[in-house]
Amino acid sequence: MRKIIAILGLFGVLSVGFAPAGNAMPGAEEKVVAIVNARILTVTKGEIAKGSVLIANGKILEVGADVNVPEGARVIDAAGCVVTPGLVDSHSHLGLGPSGGVTEDNEMSDPVTPQLRVIDSIHPEGIGADKGQFRNALAEGVTTVIARPGSGNVIGGQSAVIKLRGGTVDDMVIVFPADMKMALGRKGGYASKGVMPMTKMGTAYLVRQAMLDAADYRDALARYAKEKAKKPESVPPARDLKKEAMLKVLEREIPVHIHVSAADDIMTAVRLAGEFKFLRLSLGHAVEAYKVADELAKHGVIVVVGPLMITYDDDGKLVNLADFLVKRGVEINIMTDADVVQEQFLRYQAAIAVKYGMDPAEALKAITINPAKLAGLEKRIGSIEAGKDADLVVFSGDPFDIQSRTLKVMIDGKVVYEAK
Amino acid sequence: MRNIVVVVCLVCLLSVGIGAAGASEVVVIKNGRVLPMNGPAIEGGVVIVENGKIVRVGKDLPVPEGATVIDAAGGWVLPGLIEAHTTIGLRDDSGPYGSSNSDELSDPATAQLRVLDALNPFDKSIKHAREAGITAALVTPGRGNVIGGQAAVVRLAGKTVEEMTILSPAGIKLSLGEGPKDAYGGKGRLPSTRMGSAYVVRKALLEAGEYLKKTKDYEAAKAKAKGKAKDGKAGEEAPAPKRDLALEPLAALLDGKFPAFVECYRADDIMTALRLVDEFKFKAVLIGCAEGFRVAGEIAKRGIPVIVGPMGIGPKRIETMEVTIANAAALAKAGVKVVLEAEEGTLGIGALEELPLAAALAVKGGLDRDQALRAITLTAAEVLGVADRIGSLEAGKDADVVVFDGDPLNYRTRVKAVLLGGKVLFGTVEK
Repeated sequence: MRKIIAILGLFGVLSVGFAPAGNAMPGAEEKVVAIVNARILTVTKGEIAKGSVLIANGKILEVGADVNVPEGARVIDAAGCVVTPGLVDSHSHLGLGPSGGVTEDNEMSDPVTPQLRVIDSIHPEGIGADKGQFRNALAEGVTTVIARPGSGNVIGGQSAVIKLRGGTVDDMVIVFPADMKMALGRKGGYASKGVMPMTKMGTAYLVRQAMLDAADYRDALARYAKEKAKKPESVPPARDLKKEAMLKVLEREIPVHIHVSAADDIMTAVRLAGEFKFLRLSLGHAVEAYKVADELAKHGVIVVVGPLMITYDDDGKLVNLADFLVKRGVEINIMTDADVVQEQFLRYQAAIAVKYGMDPAEALKAITINPAKLAGLEKRIGSIEAGKDADLVVFSGDPFDIQSRTLKVMIDGKVVYEAK
Repeated sequence: MRNIVVVVCLVCLLSVGIGAAGASEVVVIKNGRVLPMNGPAIEGGVVIVENGKIVRVGKDLPVPEGATVIDAAGGWVLPGLIEAHTTIGLRDDSGPYGSSNSDELSDPATAQLRVLDALNPFDKSIKHAREAGITAALVTPGRGNVIGGQAAVVRLAGKTVEEMTILSPAGIKLSLGEGPKDAYGGKGRLPSTRMGSAYVVRKALLEAGEYLKKTKDYEAAKAKAKGKAKDGKAGEEAPAPKRDLALEPLAALLDGKFPAFVECYRADDIMTALRLVDEFKFKAVLIGCAEGFRVAGEIAKRGIPVIVGPMGIGPKRIETMEVTIANAAALAKAGVKVVLEAEEGTLGIGALEELPLAAALAVKGGLDRDQALRAITLTAAEVLGVADRIGSLEAGKDADVVVFDGDPLNYRTRVKAVLLGGKVLFGTVEK
C-alpha cells in the first residue's frame, strides 16, 4: 500500500512569487466556482462540446452539458476555450538543479542508494538557471509531476508525487514514497573509477543483490518478532535504511521505475520484475521499446515515452514511439524528463506524437490519467470527474496547438496561474 | 515432386521474429550431400523438418504434401554450426546504446554475473553469424576476470535472451594467464601475477566448498526434522544458510552441476588449470590451449575436453606465440576430445563467420576431416552439454540446419540456406 503522508517540515521557508499552499481554511465553506460555456475534455468520460464544471472545497462537484449553476456561484465564462484536467508529468527532475550544472540528481558516491529520498533534494521553486521553473510549468498547465532521482545510479532512490501548488516541498508532496527509481544499461560514472558496475551483467547483479539483502533483512525482522514473543528483552536488528527502502519493493508496497533505452536492457528490466514480482514496472525513455513491444504488452509493462518522442529503426524508418506502443497494446505515459525538456513543454511533447499520427485523445491521456494511474492516483487526479481534485486548465484553444494560450490554472480549486 | 522457389527476404525475418514457437510448417531439404554427424554421409539425402524439430533423415524419403522444399542439389547439408567460445552480443560498440559488456573489471572474482544480463539480441554480429550458418554459441564473459561469471549456450536468433537460451548457466568462466594480469596488474591490484590468479580461484572455491557443505547440512537437517515431525515430534527448524549469489554458482560447480570453462594458453597455465581441477575435483573444459600439444597427455589423462582457440594465423599475443596449426591434431591424437572455435577478434581467424576455416586449418594441421567437422557441430554440442538439443541431424533434435554450396572446408564455399528452429532464416534456393 502506498502511503500518502503529510510531512511536517520544520525546515524550508515559504517561497515567494506565486500562490501559497492552498488548503481551505478550516470550517470556512467556500463559494462554488463555475466554469461555463467551455469545451471540456474530461479524458475519461469523453468530450463535452459545450458544458460546465462546478468546483467547491477544492473538488470537482459536477461536470456536464446541462449543469445548474447554483445561486451566488463565481462564474468563469470560458466560451471558445478548452478545459482539460491539470497536466501530469510522468517523470521529472524539477527542482533538482540546472542540467549540466551542479545538479542534485545523482549521488555518485555509490551505485546503490535506495535510501535516498528525492524530497530531500528538491528546491521548491528551482534555483540558478532553473529559477522560476515551477511557475513556468504552471503557466503551461502542468499541475502535478512524478519527481525522481536521476539515472546515474543503478538504484537511485525514492520518488515522490508533487503538486505544483507552491509552499515548501512538504506542502507539495502528495505521495511519498511513490516508487523506487532504478537505471539499467548505462555504466554511468562508475566504469571510469573501476567500480562495479562496469558491465550490464554487473548492473543486473547489483539489483539482484539489493533485493536479496532486503529479503535477509525481512527474515531477520521476522525472527526478531518471533523471539520477542518468547523473550520480551530480545534485541531488534539494527535499522538499515538501505534495506528498509528495498524491503518496500520486495513487499510490493511501492512499484519500480527503471530508466532504460536499449531493447536488451528493457528485457533485463522485465526479467528482474518477473524474478522479484515487482508491484508494477514502468520504464522511462525505452527508446528501443518498439523492438520488443509484444513482450511489454504481454507483461503489462508501462512505458513512459520521452524526452525523445520519435526515433528511427535500423532501416532508418521513423518510429513515433508513443503511438507505435499504444497500437500494440502497451500502456504509455509521456514525459519531459525536466529539465532535459523544460517542464512547461509537456503538452508540446505530446503534440509531437500527435503530429506524427497519434490519436489526440490518447496523447492527452498520456499526460493526464495514465500518469495518474501510474502514481496510483487515478481516483484523485488526471480527469474531470465529480469528486476528483479540482486541478484544471483553461486553454484558449486545442491544447496541442502550440498557438493556444494557457488562460487559467487551478489546483485544488485555487487559481494558481492566470494569464495577464 | 514439386520444386518451390523459396526466397526469404531478411526484412521479413526481422518483422516475423524467430522464436521456436509457431513454426508449424513442414520444410524438406533434399538432393544434398547430408552429413548428419552421428553417422555416415548420405548422398542425395533428405531432411524433413516439422514444428521446429527434425523428424526424419535419410534417403528417398517421400516429401509431405504442402511442404516447403529446399533443393540442395550439389550442396552439403550439415547441422547448424556451433561456436564454442565467444563474447558475441556482449561487446557491441556500435549504435547509440552500444557498449562493451564482456568484462566487469571492478573485481577479479564475479561468479555472480550472468552473460544473459548483458547479451544484446539485436547486436548485428549475431545476425551475421547465423547467416554464415552458425546457429548456436557458448557466450562467456571475457578473459579479464579470473572468475568471469556464468556462461550460456544460446541460439543465435530471437528478440529476447529468454527466446535464445538453450542452457544457462552452461558453466562458470575462469581465466588464467595474461588476461587477469593485464586487467589488474597495472592497477597494483590482485592478481598481478599467475600466482595471484590461482589464489583467487582457490580462495573462492574453498569458500564455495564451505557454502556447499552448509547448504547440504541444512537440507539434511530439514529432511530429518520433517521425518521427526511425521512421528509426531515437532523438529526444530535450523536456520537456512544466508544466500550468496557469488558462492551459489561456484558451489554448483563443485557439486558437479556444470563445468568450468577455463581459458588458458601457455602450457604452464594449462597445468595450473589441471592442478586446480585435481585439487577441487570439478568438471572442466579448457579453452584456448595454444600450447596444448606440449601437455596433451596430461589433459587426455584427466578426460578434459579442449575448445581449441588460435589456429596460428593472424596476430598473436605473448601467450600464443608458440601456437601451431598442428595443435588440434596433436591433442586429438593424444585422446583429447577436441572442439574448434573461431576465436574471433585479433587472435585467430579474425571473424566468427569463418568458423569452418578454423576446421579447415585444423585439417591442414593433421586433424581427421570428419573429426574437424564434428568439432564445430556434434562434439561442440556434447562438450557444451546441449547434445540432446543440437549438434547433429537426428530425429527429435532442433531443426538447425545449414546448406553449403559445396565442401564446408573449402575456402570458396558459401552458405546457401540456414534453418533455425525449423524456420528458413536465410537462403536463395533455385528451382
